[in-house]
Amino acid sequence: MTDPKISVRNLYKIFGEEPQAALAHAKAGMDKAQLLDEHRHVLGLRDINVDMASGEITVIMGLSGSGKSTLIRHLNRLIDPTDGQVIVDGEDIMSYSDSALRGLRRKKMSMVFQKFALLPHRTVLENAGTPMIVDGAKRAEWEKEATRWLDRVGLEGQGPQYPHQLSGGMQQRVGIARALTSNSDIMLMDEAFSALDPLIRTDMQDLLIELQRELQKTVVFITHDLDEALKLADHLVILKDGEVVQQGEPQHILMNPNDPYIVDFISDINRARVLRARTVMTEGTDDPGGLSGEVDENATLEDVIAKADGDTRLSFRVTRNGTPVGTLPMTDVVKALVPTAASEDGMRQAS
Amino acid sequence: MATYDWIFDTLGLRGWCGGDGEGGGSAPMSMADLMAQSSGEAPETSLWDTPFPSMDALNDACASFPQSRELTRGLERGFLDIKDWLSYVLDPLTQPLSWALRNALDLFQTVPWWLMIPILGLIVLGISRSFKLMAFVVGSFALLAFIDYYDYAMQTLAIIFVCAVICVALGVPIGIAMSRSDRLQAGMIPVLDMLQTLPPFVYLIPLIFLFSVTEPKLYGIAIILYAIVPVIRLTNLGIRLVDKEVIEAADAFGMTKRQKLYGVQIPLALPNIMAGVNQTIMMSLAMVVIASLVSAPGLGVLVLRGIRNLELGVGLISGLGIVLLAVILDRSTKAALARVNAAQKH
Repeated sequence: MTDPKISVRNLYKIFGEEPQAALAHAKAGMDKAQLLDEHRHVLGLRDINVDMASGEITVIMGLSGSGKSTLIRHLNRLIDPTDGQVIVDGEDIMSYSDSALRGLRRKKMSMVFQKFALLPHRTVLENAGTPMIVDGAKRAEWEKEATRWLDRVGLEGQGPQYPHQLSGGMQQRVGIARALTSNSDIMLMDEAFSALDPLIRTDMQDLLIELQRELQKTVVFITHDLDEALKLADHLVILKDGEVVQQGEPQHILMNPNDPYIVDFISDINRARVLRARTVMTEGTDDPGGLSGEVDENATLEDVIAKADGDTRLSFRVTRNGTPVGTLPMTDVVKALVPTAASEDGMRQAS
Repeated sequence: MATYDWIFDTLGLRGWCGGDGEGGGSAPMSMADLMAQSSGEAPETSLWDTPFPSMDALNDACASFPQSRELTRGLERGFLDIKDWLSYVLDPLTQPLSWALRNALDLFQTVPWWLMIPILGLIVLGISRSFKLMAFVVGSFALLAFIDYYDYAMQTLAIIFVCAVICVALGVPIGIAMSRSDRLQAGMIPVLDMLQTLPPFVYLIPLIFLFSVTEPKLYGIAIILYAIVPVIRLTNLGIRLVDKEVIEAADAFGMTKRQKLYGVQIPLALPNIMAGVNQTIMMSLAMVVIASLVSAPGLGVLVLRGIRNLELGVGLISGLGIVLLAVILDRSTKAALARVNAAQKH
């Protein structure tokens, strides 16, 4: 694996009067509740180690209070950690001066916010041009870039409007155009689609996937919605109470949850829609005979079932870009739909 | 014998008090002492009538203990002692205020009415974009001019103009500084509370000591001190109320502090700041009437004349003139405020 674009190392964040004193307790293994009870400090993040690869979408998922928004704000130092490092392109940004930090925020990282955070007194065009205006670009320059990205996200001709004249979905498109105008490699998205209604959210997810295919940015996406996480993630990080519970390839996490918390989390999802052929298939190129067709490795199990017309006696060949990589019997498909056994003693039943 | 003799006796301070414990001595007598002396017997004290151990009561027991009137007198003396030094510092500092007030008064009165009234109308039109309001303002000034109150109204307007401009010029930066520092805010709020609740007449007393009554800055300072409070408060509040996420976005895109202040915080706080300016103007109008006691010209002088000579008509008409001015100023600034609000609703 090549060097990660962003690398978070042993990150701790403690909120309170004397975080350094509380840090020692946290490092000694005191848990969140105890730290709050005995020392009046809130443990925000504990020993976070995450690598975010260039050109991938890393999704950080967790319920509210799990520290995911705190974590993403460490990446551009909107929040300073109590201890640990954040390394971007090989440089520890904790050592940055104010002006170096501003440079990082202007050129390398842009951010999309849950409640859009557009400037209400500026037009859509000016909002989209904000990163370049901040950086001192000439009007002609930023107008061109901003118009280009507004067009790209589907807001042709909305430039002279004010944000409050647009719907929520359109406002967030402005938010995304604004992040793209900065021409940064890294996009931080803090629950960017959580405030939108479900249909528009799906549209926006598709837009993001489409943009990502085109632009290959390093995207860090925060969400509390597992379906959204599974749809977008190349790399999934699951946070609970400020700690990473499990991280890895989302399909892998689905098949091998290592914590009752995650089992509980994934027990509600439609597995047929998120699991893919490559996850369930038996690898190997030899032909066992009796195959009734081909499916792409990225086809969801739902697609496969539809293709088999519900007949469990069939088997399919799985292909990657047209070349065979494995076989997929329908019986395996059906087995994969049964939630992981551990979910029987998941947290919800236990509590 | 006075009620609290025992305090000084037990503390062994009788010697310091000057002997026998009887009131009097060099300090002036209280009324009770005087009564007692004239009737020739000590006042009877039951438990029911026990006086609070106030300064005067303690003075009864011990002549060396200061009476309460010493407190006010001490304050007065203290002020008189530093007065020369204070006016030595403050006089040159505040001189531009006198200059500005004199010039504004001159300007507002030398511009002929047929130029002034249309100009005011155009200004109102410019800030409110409302022809109705402009017509109302022009009509009101014409009415005031018709009953020969035009000059007085212009004087009042000139004073308010200068004082409001200075209030905004000082108040907005103070408000911004307060919004940035919690410690400064904690220190300023009691001061602002005091400025706002101290009866307006009280400002005038120390100012009369400090400055000559012929100087316009005397009433200028009184008006500014009284009227600056809302613009400071609302600037501070407005900037603190700016949406946290928008501030975060400004930071996330690498804005400098200055870019954030001028590009985000002030524009978003503008509705609140404008509300503060409106209040400041209304309060300077209230104070300009009171300041006529210390030679501020304008409609207030007529109100004062009405009170002094019991000229009911003069008092009433000038009072209504002030109401008219207040309505004009209030409606114009409110119209400007509404325009700012409309431009940036969320």
